[in-house]
Amino acid sequence: MTLSQGAKWVRFLRQYGPVPRNDNMYDEHIRRSAQRAGVRPIAFTHPLEEEILSLFRAGTPRPSSVVLTGTAGDGKTHLCRKIWSEIGGDEVEWSSDDIYYRRMVTIGGSPITVHVIRDLTALPRSDSRGGYADKDQLLLLFCRTLLHPAADDVFLIAANDGQLMEPWQRLPASDEVGRVRQLLESLLVEDHRESEGIPLKFFNLSRVPCVTLFDLALEAFLSHEGWRECAQEKGGDREFFDPRSPIRRNYDLLQTPLVKARLRALFELCDCNDLHIPIRRILLLLANAVLGHPEVKDRLMQAADVPGILQRGTAAKGSLFNNIFGGNLSDIRRESLEVFNYLNRFRIGHETSNRIDNILIFGEADEILRPYFDSLLGSDAFYGADPSYHAAQRAYIEGVEGDEVNARAFLDLLVSQRRRLFFTIPEAQENELALWELTVFKYAGEYLSRVLPVLKSGGKVDRSILARLVRGLNRVFVGMLVTTERELVLATSFSFSSSKVSQILEDRIPVTPRLYERVDLALEGERLALGVQLSDTIHCSLPLNLTRYEFLSRVAEGALPGSFSQECYEDMLAFKSRLLGSLAERRRMEVSEETGVLTFRLMNLDSLGNPTDEVVEVSHG
Amino acid sequence: MVDSALLLPAPPPRDHERNEMWVDEQIWGHRLWDSQSSWLLFLEFLNVAEASHREGRLLDERGCYYPLEFKPFQRMILRNILFNNEMLFRISQRFPDSNSAWAEWLTWMRDNARGVRSPDFSYLKTRFASFQQFASLVAMLRASAVENETNRRWTTRFVFPFGPNALYEDLDVRPDGSLERQYINFGRTGELLYMMLCRATGVVRLRANLAEVFSGQNPWNTVVGLFQPQASADELQTRDKSYLPYRAHPRFDGLAEDWQQILELCLPGFDALPHLVTLSAFHVILYQLHLAVEWCGETRPVHFICEVVAPKKTLVRELSALNYQENTRLPQRAVEAYIKRIEESEEWRQAAAQPGAFSTCQNVLRERVRWPNDHIDYDGPNDPSSLMGELRRKALARHRHHVANIHRNYGRDVGLVSKRGTNKLRYAPTDPLLKALILANVPQRMEYKEFLSRLYSRYGLVFGDLEAGHVLEGGEYDRKAFQANAERLEQRLGSLGMLRRLSDACAYVQNPFSRNTP
Repeated sequence: MTLSQGAKWVRFLRQYGPVPRNDNMYDEHIRRSAQRAGVRPIAFTHPLEEEILSLFRAGTPRPSSVVLTGTAGDGKTHLCRKIWSEIGGDEVEWSSDDIYYRRMVTIGGSPITVHVIRDLTALPRSDSRGGYADKDQLLLLFCRTLLHPAADDVFLIAANDGQLMEPWQRLPASDEVGRVRQLLESLLVEDHRESEGIPLKFFNLSRVPCVTLFDLALEAFLSHEGWRECAQEKGGDREFFDPRSPIRRNYDLLQTPLVKARLRALFELCDCNDLHIPIRRILLLLANAVLGHPEVKDRLMQAADVPGILQRGTAAKGSLFNNIFGGNLSDIRRESLEVFNYLNRFRIGHETSNRIDNILIFGEADEILRPYFDSLLGSDAFYGADPSYHAAQRAYIEGVEGDEVNARAFLDLLVSQRRRLFFTIPEAQENELALWELTVFKYAGEYLSRVLPVLKSGGKVDRSILARLVRGLNRVFVGMLVTTERELVLATSFSFSSSKVSQILEDRIPVTPRLYERVDLALEGERLALGVQLSDTIHCSLPLNLTRYEFLSRVAEGALPGSFSQECYEDMLAFKSRLLGSLAERRRMEVSEETGVLTFRLMNLDSLGNPTDEVVEVSHG
Repeated sequence: MVDSALLLPAPPPRDHERNEMWVDEQIWGHRLWDSQSSWLLFLEFLNVAEASHREGRLLDERGCYYPLEFKPFQRMILRNILFNNEMLFRISQRFPDSNSAWAEWLTWMRDNARGVRSPDFSYLKTRFASFQQFASLVAMLRASAVENETNRRWTTRFVFPFGPNALYEDLDVRPDGSLERQYINFGRTGELLYMMLCRATGVVRLRANLAEVFSGQNPWNTVVGLFQPQASADELQTRDKSYLPYRAHPRFDGLAEDWQQILELCLPGFDALPHLVTLSAFHVILYQLHLAVEWCGETRPVHFICEVVAPKKTLVRELSALNYQENTRLPQRAVEAYIKRIEESEEWRQAAAQPGAFSTCQNVLRERVRWPNDHIDYDGPNDPSSLMGELRRKALARHRHHVANIHRNYGRDVGLVSKRGTNKLRYAPTDPLLKALILANVPQRMEYKEFLSRLYSRYGLVFGDLEAGHVLEGGEYDRKAFQANAERLEQRLGSLGMLRRLSDACAYVQNPFSRNTP
């Protein structure tokens, strides 16, 4: 039975999702599936494409080599093909299995040989077509090209970041190899594009903010003509795209501005936590979001599955909001995919507040909560308060003592509902209903709206926010519940600067600028950082990703430093160590008299949590 | 095999008359002591080093490998004030008036101070603004004492080594008030540590860094100095007679390199010390095992299969426990090999073949291992093979008393060996040990796989599958188990704030205290 065009589109779309497949042949596989289905693969222009291609155009003044790195699925091979095509390479030649290609082009007025290595780790010992005699020789040529810019070769090398450094370790050691290794490592780890005087442009595709990639991918996904085919269907197959179908419902929801904005915020926060989601996985997420359902083959719906689902009344299980977190997948599968791993770190569905849960559980019956229930759940009979929800809710509230099964079922539904609420609570009610308490990052909303954009537009962050962060930092530094927030307290204990409780006061740095000292929030590059200025030349800064921001805020509000994140705690202690080191440096630079008196300041807290000093002065001969 | 060019001659027997025999001592030195914690090991070292520094020869044996002589401080006055001073706080509370408090306390101290010839503490009055201030400073210093939780006699309690003013050797006070140096807490292993560093190839640079530690230019050292009279009332006594059998060894170099790395980080305050303590004791374990391997002719290099603790039992745990058992037996096998050598030597064979064999054989043994010395030592049948058998039995029994326990005792102390989560001892490195290893090996950053490889090549630590492949034969192990082990280590290092993940497959170990960390 032949499928309609719309159904073929859906079947093709499944290939992007979490189907069992060998990831190595992803690109090939997608292209062949697209051909078979008679559709165009989902595509968009990579944000760096123009910049990279321009390096290989005839009009470029100086030729330079290019290294493309990043994690698997970031578009390296795709970009390589575009470059090959840009320099006039043959499409058919490219579709062979070879790793190494070579072509003569004219760049900057002179003839240049472009060597293309499309996967550094897969580079064979010698080239079957005679392009190079020995792999080591080829790589040594690359090193020479970088260090002796008069050369007329350039290289285009693509490699996964985890394997970028290995081949250089295996080359016979030499000064050149050592320098290139150092260079590549520092470009990789310190996130630079190039190094002065070296004709190399280094593109780490994993550094492109995933929110940028998300915007492009989502647009390409939603506006693909395949959906129009679905909408235009007539006849029997049509059912899979009618308004009752979860596929259709999910597709429509994904287009609503609020859902887009919330999902986008999650991606932005992943960037703020230095978590990168490659393009391949973003497309996986989108395909799974629309087609996911726990009770079909491979957990992804096909056109033919829909009638059965509708008949059984299990449409709600294919909720977009659950699928976004991989709720339709088996535990093992979900945990093995980093995109779901990262999104699940927000714990959306499992975190909640009393307010939200009251609405979910008792809202219908309670006078005050009823309006909320109606507008948030009652209005959505599809994924909101559908009949199965009402039934489970009743069973839960009125249920028999010890009825585990029903209780479990309802609690699982609650997870789904909380996830739905995260995407549907209107902007106007965000604060009232404390939207971000549905995630583990309660301060994320503030981070995204009151901190980052303010700094990006050149403004200053609210005093109260900085005060809270300083208070949190003080609590970690001192180990006691200090309440001081107008200055940063640097304390140690006698023998170890990073013991849990530190009572010897070394110094206090005021938040409000005094002479050269100050504490403030600023952007370093694109990232938020807390900066401590100790003198006109001495400055220490602590990058504040979302997790650290949340950590300090929670500690300021009373949480114990060890409870939210051990890693953050250690990071703070390391920062304290750096501060103490800088303080010692400043002291060395200051001219001080030998007074013959040693002063120690022992810290204690008064009943309000303000630190009090006991000054101990000891004279020594 | 042992490089005989590096072997030093044994010291004269009269120097160690109380040693029942001389077997462990010739293999590892006099002596490796198992009841010495890592901090005591380090303190013992500091005392030797400080005394040498005082005489202008820090870490410099001046070509004379034996005996190592030095005169450490005793500082009984300070120790009485800090640790033999129960009345101090009671007096401080009962007598708010400073003068009466002083009077009361001085009287009490005059009657109760021990190990001090003529106890006159009155100089303290001029040093402090008030008795209360004096008391609070004493409390602060007591709180900083090393290993405060252990219940030791007061003469074996050590203030934190802020500087030379805070260093003193372990002593006991006899009933008549005289001082005795026993070797139960400071068991001489600290002296061996000193000699190892003297003989390391990197010693010249190390001298410069360590000299700073002994310069005493920090406020705390000055404060501790305030408690002591101007002219030191110490009559210093010479200590000596520790023996390290090798004039050089790669293990000494490894130890010195680690110290050098830690000191060069210029950590604030005294933060470097705990790491030096941990690494020193770890290197003593390595020293013992490496020499054991050399003496018994074992071909496989010393290695430690390390489990990063998992919620469930894993294959790595099993292998680690087996590995621990093997390593524990190594020193004993070295002793057996040592004795076997004697048995198979020309000297012995000839002696055993002649008439009057028994007596000649006894002489041979007295030459080689200073045993048997009289009828108490050996009272059995008058034939060489029984004699040799008895030697073997006694040597092993003696070895098991102390030297055999180094591996377990020091291993547990540094956080290498533990029973955590199971009932067998195996290798499961703790956070402090991991931290110390990172600080000593990663100057700024290092790719994760390279880090694992370095831990293996420098110490024999096995975490991941590549390194496991070096030490286990083909079918013995499951790659996935070790890969999972390495992943867990990655997470562990991440939670220590010492690992940066650039992406799923790419991670760098970072030293957060590096001078160059952005």
